[in-house]
Amino acid sequence: MTLCPCGSTRAFDECCGPIIAGAPASTAEALMRSRYTAFANRTLDHVERTHAPEVRDDFNRAEAERLAEECEWKSLEIRRATETGDTAEIEFVVQFRREQHTITQAATSCFRRDNGQWLYISNTLNPQITQHVTKVGRNDPCPCNSGKKAKKCCGTTTELK
Amino acid sequence: MARVKHFQCTECGMCCYGQLPLTCKDAFANASRFPLCFVWTPLRQGSKDYPLVATLGTTIKLTGRKELAVLITPTAYIPSSFPCPALGDDNLCSIHSNKPSRCKTMPFYPYREERYQAELLTPRQSWACDTSTAAPLVFQDNAIVFRNDFDNERQELLEQVPILRRYADYMLKYSASLVNNLIHASSKVKAGHVITSLSSFLTASKNADAKHIAQLQLPLLKDYMAKTAGDVKLAEFHRNYLNWSKEMAYLSQAQS
Ligand code: SF4
Ligand code: SF4
Ligand SMILES: [Zn+2]
Repeated sequence: MTLCPCGSTRAFDECCGPIIAGAPASTAEALMRSRYTAFANRTLDHVERTHAPEVRDDFNRAEAERLAEECEWKSLEIRRATETGDTAEIEFVVQFRREQHTITQAATSCFRRDNGQWLYISNTLNPQITQHVTKVGRNDPCPCNSGKKAKKCCGTTTELK
Repeated sequence: MARVKHFQCTECGMCCYGQLPLTCKDAFANASRFPLCFVWTPLRQGSKDYPLVATLGTTIKLTGRKELAVLITPTAYIPSSFPCPALGDDNLCSIHSNKPSRCKTMPFYPYREERYQAELLTPRQSWACDTSTAAPLVFQDNAIVFRNDFDNERQELLEQVPILRRYADYMLKYSASLVNNLIHASSKVKAGHVITSLSSFLTASKNADAKHIAQLQLPLLKDYMAKTAGDVKLAEFHRNYLNWSKEMAYLSQAQS
């Protein structure tokens, strides 16, 4: 049996597997776990499809594919899961390795149930616990000092204090 | 400072090296020529350029009633030691009649108010621009003498404000580190920059042509990856080309 990457200690085929294959998640936590597992297994169709419709177009799939490939997904820990009717909040900690760094990222995700399907809405990082936050995450821009010689003469906007 | 300025390009080609800021229109028209990214340049309150940068870019509220103005510029992402891919062996622009508005407007710079343009007419050290009185008069009475190119570029900058603001909102919503990186960049004596990817812009603007653009970008990125391989000074460029080539590879395959 293959253990599920989500850390449930259950078999993949009895945990995240069926959800990734299209079965509805019975709880928001199950959906959360399956989305993590989909990252680890690089089956991002599942991640894209379980975004709530209002944020689905915002999903930068190309970048997510790159991050899924670059990171070695170490663990997911669910700290708190609160379902209230058709909405849910889940506090979690993920660990992964990227470019020789182990990164711990704590966050809270929000979910909503539409027609029996749990969907992902948003994510807020918890900076107190998150380490190396500048190195991770979706759409992370890098600070850069290499653009000194752009096509403009001296004394332009960017060189004034 | 003398309010009358002379300028003549002697076609030395020196300003055709390194990153080239573009309008959105020029960036996408040249997607097969330039590896593209977005350069965010923060400006602190108090600068005389602040109002125009806030108009052409966006503003970000910080704590304690402070704010930053940020210029977001589509950019040909080229190391400063590399010539523009359109620069010919003869040091002349091979796309002269069709070159980006940034190049047409040189030496003026419509990201700044017109009345401050005189300060821009001091060439950088290695540049061979002729600014002697033998060169044509290009600026007087706080105004540009031949103003067509300046006005056109400014107009393009104004027209693209809505799409860049939507992009800024998107990035601020989804990037955990952007604001901190901008604050960090703005705290330097010479303002720093933050670089974001073309893939994020294509996603934010829901660009229907993303697949085609990615197909044009991919070979360019691979080419620049090869050209920057193994050079420690260009490691950051190399890593960005590598990362973006993965993203463009995905997009160029994606079902549309
Ligand atoms: S497009 Fe032409 S003028 Fe502009 S930087 Fe390239 S070579 Fe120079
Ligand atoms: S540096 Fe000056 S002289 Fe040389 S190509 Fe550019 S504008 Fe012309
Ligand atoms: Zn699982």
